[in-house]
Amino acid sequence: MDWLEQELKRALERKEPSPDFAARVSAAARRGRWGSPRRWMAVAASVAVLAGGGVGYRWREGVKAKQQVMLAVRIAGGKLNRVQAHVLEVTQ
Amino acid sequence: MKTIVTLLLWGGLAATLGAQQLQLNFEYLAAKASAAVDVSLNGATLQFAAGFLNGKDPQEAQVKKLLTGITGIYVKSYEFKTDGVWTQADLERVRNQLRAPQWSRIIGVKSTEDGETAEVYVRSENQKMTGLAILVAEPKELTVVNIVGSVDLNSLSELGGHFGVPKLEVTPGQKSK
Repeated sequence: MDWLEQELKRALERKEPSPDFAARVSAAARRGRWGSPRRWMAVAASVAVLAGGGVGYRWREGVKAKQQVMLAVRIAGGKLNRVQAHVLEVTQ
Repeated sequence: MKTIVTLLLWGGLAATLGAQQLQLNFEYLAAKASAAVDVSLNGATLQFAAGFLNGKDPQEAQVKKLLTGITGIYVKSYEFKTDGVWTQADLERVRNQLRAPQWSRIIGVKSTEDGETAEVYVRSENQKMTGLAILVAEPKELTVVNIVGSVDLNSLSELGGHFGVPKLEVTPGQKSK
């Protein structure tokens, strides 16, 4: 057997894995499929922040629209009242 | 293809619902005004706003009820520090859009004493009210209101504040003397 064969035999010889190898592979596979709980918590927090921001924006826009409606109705009603008052003055 | 065309037509129709019935271009007056109010609310915004009106508040409940027949509210109101900023031509531009047969003036008041002009117009189609226009001009103030849809004038008047003014009896198509 020459030196090359010996080198090849040594390089390709069977080696036993470490005792926790199977557990580590299973854990890595689980992480790959569902992600870590910490990652899920971060995603959930982001969704909550975005949803909260959306609700807040919608609420602010709604309040603004309501104020504009109240202002417009007040002006329109006030002017109509004024016209009526003028008509009353003229007719009396 | 036919479906797409139909959808586009319906979309266009929906977009025009509640559209302003008057062209009110008063930007040049707004620039000279000491106080200006410019409110443009289409049907979608009014529906959205109605959801935020508190039904337990008497005034807000009344506004909510009023909004059921309205698809647009447009208000332009300007106050000036001096007289003569707006001109008769400004009023005429608005009046020219409020012509028969769709529009009819139900009230017209002109006071030479304080130089005030006040007019109320109603737009009607098939004996049904479809719009209201209020034009009030004073030496230092100009206000134009256009409400699209069916409006209860007495409710609107009440929302403007009571001053012991009797109720206004108006039927679509009625004209001022």
